Amino acid sequence: VRAVRLLVGAGGAALLAAMLAGALHEDVLSAGEAWTHYAVVSFISISVGLLVWERRPGSRIGLLITATVLAGALSELPIVLPESALAVTIGLGAINLAAPFFAHLTLSYPSGRLTSRLDRAFVVITYVFALVYAVPLLLFYSPRSTYDPDVWDCPSCAVPYTHVAWYDVTGARRALDGVLFVLVVVFLTLLLRKLVRAGAGARRVVLPLLAVLFLLAARFCVELALALTGSSANFWTSSAMFWAETIGLLGIPLALAIGLLWGRGARSAVADLVVELERTPPGSVRDALARTLGDPTLELALWLPERESYVDGEGRPLELPTPVSGRAVTVLGDSEAPVAALVHDPALLEQRALLRSACAAARLALENERLQAELRLQLAEVRASRVRIVRAGDEERRRLERDLHDGAQQRLLSLGLALQLMRSELGSGANGAARLLGEAEAELGAALEELRALAHGIHPAVLTEHGLGPALRTLAARSPVPVEIKAVPDERLPAPVEAAGYFVVSEALANVAKHARASAVSVHAACEDGSLVVEVEDDGVGGAAPTAGSGLAGLADRLQAIDGRLTIQSRAGRGTRLCAEIPYAVVPAHR
Amino acid sequence: MGRRVLIVDDHPTFRRFATRLLKAGGFEVVGEADDGRSALAAARRLRPELVLLDVLLPDMSGFAVAEALAADSGRPLVVLISSRSASELAAGLERSSACGFIAKSELSAEALAAIVNGRP
Repeated sequence: VRAVRLLVGAGGAALLAAMLAGALHEDVLSAGEAWTHYAVVSFISISVGLLVWERRPGSRIGLLITATVLAGALSELPIVLPESALAVTIGLGAINLAAPFFAHLTLSYPSGRLTSRLDRAFVVITYVFALVYAVPLLLFYSPRSTYDPDVWDCPSCAVPYTHVAWYDVTGARRALDGVLFVLVVVFLTLLLRKLVRAGAGARRVVLPLLAVLFLLAARFCVELALALTGSSANFWTSSAMFWAETIGLLGIPLALAIGLLWGRGARSAVADLVVELERTPPGSVRDALARTLGDPTLELALWLPERESYVDGEGRPLELPTPVSGRAVTVLGDSEAPVAALVHDPALLEQRALLRSACAAARLALENERLQAELRLQLAEVRASRVRIVRAGDEERRRLERDLHDGAQQRLLSLGLALQLMRSELGSGANGAARLLGEAEAELGAALEELRALAHGIHPAVLTEHGLGPALRTLAARSPVPVEIKAVPDERLPAPVEAAGYFVVSEALANVAKHARASAVSVHAACEDGSLVVEVEDDGVGGAAPTAGSGLAGLADRLQAIDGRLTIQSRAGRGTRLCAEIPYAVVPAHR
Repeated sequence: MGRRVLIVDDHPTFRRFATRLLKAGGFEVVGEADDGRSALAAARRLRPELVLLDVLLPDMSGFAVAEALAADSGRPLVVLISSRSASELAAGLERSSACGFIAKSELSAEALAAIVNGRP
């Protein structure tokens, strides 16, 4: 390949030198200077093309630049060497060959690959068209007997080897020029589309080249339009066209140089990134990276080694896209123990240096981000397990209550009936035994009452069976301080929510009875915005506080477990107001 | 002759003592049942005048059994009993078609007679 490059370079240089010499000798267009310009520009362009080809052997860009310039030079060959039949044949064959190379080059810049099917189809069409365009000229055109004022004519010029017979091809050329004009318009549209679709990062690289290419394309349009209208180029247009072409051709290597320079600019963007990451709040590393890389579609996947899977910043599991999805993946850290992966626009792969340095700069921040995601997941798990613990606790309480009710309580009740029977068997005699029996019955009654209170305290059956409203009324009925129930929810709520609401009121009423010295208590329980809101207010002495180990602190823990909140307002002498907010939709645990 | 009573409770010891207690108190205990379904079957078969019905049964609630008995052709009087207090069961008792409630700890032939005789 290197030999091919050397050969092309040497051949191109020799060709240009020969053309320059020929032009100067023949004094074509009486503008030797112009030809000097042209040769120098072409030489520089070919050199840049070969350089890029050398530097990026995997990319076709270098090859395409070289081919475009060489095809352009070849098409000019008949003008400088009109007496050579070979030169005329090659020149007519390559008359529009620079255009498809040019289209191929621009549409595939900077990667050298045509990514869209539309672009590919268009490039194939332009190659075919360039060959078709040459056919009538090669077969039927002779510079010795031309009536076409646009194409050069000279009686002494050579006839191409392929010449069959003379035929006026002006009409055919007009038609083909019309098609060419349409192709150029389509080409410009595709270029615009490419520019619009490119991410900001890719656009930065492509923009200078595209600007130059637009200039050249515009010049080409003018030329074509002139050919189509049949008007010959006057002095002004021809010099303007000349300069446009010179600037344009020289612009290609310049644009490449600028693209490289902006690549350096991108590296200073990495420096900015480093500074920015210093004060980036956790969770915003993605945004900072997206800005630096100029890819708003950038996604961040954080690797969690314990789970051996990727998650997003929120801790949700994330699958990396497959290669066919049209997204590219860059993994940070080594593939055995990655830190994170970036899912991004494939165009960024062209800026590997930028990508690498940005990743290196963000690595520490990403480590942090990953730890955060891990922490968040663990937190979610802890919360979920806390909810499960509360649920399990409630379930256990329910079971205990049921066991007490079904077991000991029933036996004691049976015993009570037995004592009654005994009393009737005993009849009216045996006073001492009857008195003893009365005492036993009283003792049994007390035991039953204590047992029922115990069971009720563990978990009130009325709550399970009839819901919060009846359960709160039962509590109110048992309270030594008069309780006014202002509101209770009509609907049944999830068991943990009802239990929490119940225990709030139960604890509050117990505290009122024990400490508040209140004359009245009010209870208000209602559903508001997806939460059960329970308020218990008394007119007692106040001063209640959820000290560690107290019933109120336990209550606050229970509420927190299900994302609820307990607030206590209790200023000395102003009564106590207890307010609990309990959302019914318990936050579902992350996987 | 005393009223014909069906006793429904899932605790055999309690049923046994209750039967003896009510018999001693002048009631005629015609049968016993240990869950809701057998209670309904027994009521249809034995045609009791009075059903002493536990609120908490293994297969269905005593309230539901009371509903079904009220719809039955025999329409026996239903007195609910429970180890829970009336205040705990207030919500269910308010809506129930039963004619009375006795806490199990208060159960006696006299208490039952008082409720039954209060309603002709």
